[in-house]
Amino acid sequence: MRRRVFAASLIGLGCGRSRQPKLNVFNWSAYVAPETVPNFEREFGVKVRYSIYESNEEMLARVFSGNSGWDVVFPTHYIVPPMREQGLLVALDPAQLPNRKHLDPAFVRPGLTDYAVPYMWNATGILFNKKLQPTPESWADLWRPALRGKITMLDDPAEVLAAALRKLGLSLNSRNPDELRAAQREALRQKPLLRAYLNSEVRDQVVAGDVMAAQLWSTTAQQAIDAAPHLGFVYPREGFPVNLDCAVILRESPRQEMAHAWINYLLRPEVSARVADSMRTATANLAARPLLGAGTRDNGTLYPSAEVMARAEWFETMTPEVQRLRDRLWTEIKSA
Amino acid sequence: MMRLRAFFLLPAWAFTLLLFLAPMGIIVVYSLQTKGVYGGVGEPWTFENYVRLFDPLYGVILLRSFAMAGAATFGCLVLAFPLALYISRSGTRKTLLLNLVMLPFWTSFLVRTYAWMFLLRDTGLINSMLFGMGLINEPLPLLYNDGAVVVGLIYGYLPFAVLPLYSNLERLDKGLLEAAADLGAKPWEAMLHVVLPLTAPGMRAAGVLVFIPSLGAYLTPDLLGGGKSMMIGNLVQNQFTSARDWPFGSALSLGLMAVVMLLLWALLRRDGEEML
Repeated sequence: MRRRVFAASLIGLGCGRSRQPKLNVFNWSAYVAPETVPNFEREFGVKVRYSIYESNEEMLARVFSGNSGWDVVFPTHYIVPPMREQGLLVALDPAQLPNRKHLDPAFVRPGLTDYAVPYMWNATGILFNKKLQPTPESWADLWRPALRGKITMLDDPAEVLAAALRKLGLSLNSRNPDELRAAQREALRQKPLLRAYLNSEVRDQVVAGDVMAAQLWSTTAQQAIDAAPHLGFVYPREGFPVNLDCAVILRESPRQEMAHAWINYLLRPEVSARVADSMRTATANLAARPLLGAGTRDNGTLYPSAEVMARAEWFETMTPEVQRLRDRLWTEIKSA
Repeated sequence: MMRLRAFFLLPAWAFTLLLFLAPMGIIVVYSLQTKGVYGGVGEPWTFENYVRLFDPLYGVILLRSFAMAGAATFGCLVLAFPLALYISRSGTRKTLLLNLVMLPFWTSFLVRTYAWMFLLRDTGLINSMLFGMGLINEPLPLLYNDGAVVVGLIYGYLPFAVLPLYSNLERLDKGLLEAAADLGAKPWEAMLHVVLPLTAPGMRAAGVLVFIPSLGAYLTPDLLGGGKSMMIGNLVQNQFTSARDWPFGSALSLGLMAVVMLLLWALLRRDGEEML
């Protein structure tokens, strides 16, 4: 019996290889709606091998070899320039991406969008328990001694230094060693007040009440707020970072046309709106916005107002020297 | 005859070469290269990564790792010895008890560590119970400190200490204990002067089996320490993730391996004398 099933699956494999075209997509976890991939497969008669990753580094480690087998991956915007310089990407063909016209012009940046199509985005702020009075408004509130043991920061050097730099009124992309050292001093001063450095896993602890205020990404924070209405989210007064995840096509891909078709499909307003609605994330697709459910569309955490967005600063790619200094400062913070 | 032997050894050799030595070789090569802009490695070839190992910053992290791994090893031995003794004297229930010791291995280490988070957190089982009994007003800070990391390490590696101690105690000649009693030793004296010295090899084996994985642990300090106290394993992991410095991460792991091998060599040399 088992042998027969095995043989049947072999036959299935053989058919897939000979007739049906394939597409290999490597994306962040929880970044498509349940029907996004099946609908594409049906419409284009293609078999999609869809796999997920949890960090840019994980994805980079796989595609660096140049024969990873993936066609489309989704790096965050500041990862795109180095990937391009390494020769991993192809310039996109605008003729095959007519749906690019739906993109929010705020996300269309020369240099970036020649190689990458903005997909979904998020920003970093503070998730807090509304019992906390006065409610936090600024990064400085995460340095309040009264909150000792009830605060967490992200376990991410760029994010922690960004909060400290903006708290000092400096650019979160600072390359200046003195400024970075000043930010490190702030982080060291804050460390005794912290409960922990946690990423997405802090969500449950804010919901449970163990943590009163947490530095967190807007989309993750929104999932917590959906689960617990006594939580709130704020974009700090001093300014905050923005992350834009983009779709790119790898140079190694032998299926360039199908890869363009997939990205163009994701750019359809109704497809993009379904992803954003079901995953509670923010789409970079302007035409998709009116199609969103009211709960997502008018949500100030996922889609902050223009007034709030004026304080946003995009993460930039660091030079190797600055990157090394930042990593060292981070190791010193963590081992202090 | 010799040829047949070589033939039977072939799979083991192929396995070792392919899955152990080849990756090691890659790490050695990486450790001598320069980091790429966003991960990866490249030219020029350099010893710089090894020079960086002697930075005092990393020495502090290594010392802290030694202290944590030492505490975990001590805790494991203290807990494992009476347990192993009890099992070795349990007659027909031995198999059952040994299986119970190994039972945790049936589930993933990650899941079990998460379970500890649910025990230790402010709104977790322990704090809720103490709170319910009126013993505390404020939750005890059980999670996200060095203590939580050591408890997690002890929990994770306790079976590695129990098994070698058990096999050592099992083989212990009962006649020696009777002789000690006949010569007037009280049970605790016999324990101190007969059993303990004779289980020294088992203690060393257990200690090594707990200490080495504890030294390189990264999951436990990350999850139960809340990323606030860095151990050497976390430092290595960081090089491969956020720092994107594979060459230095490779040099670090080879450096750690060298330290561990020195320790093992020192220990095995003593055991070797006893066993041979």
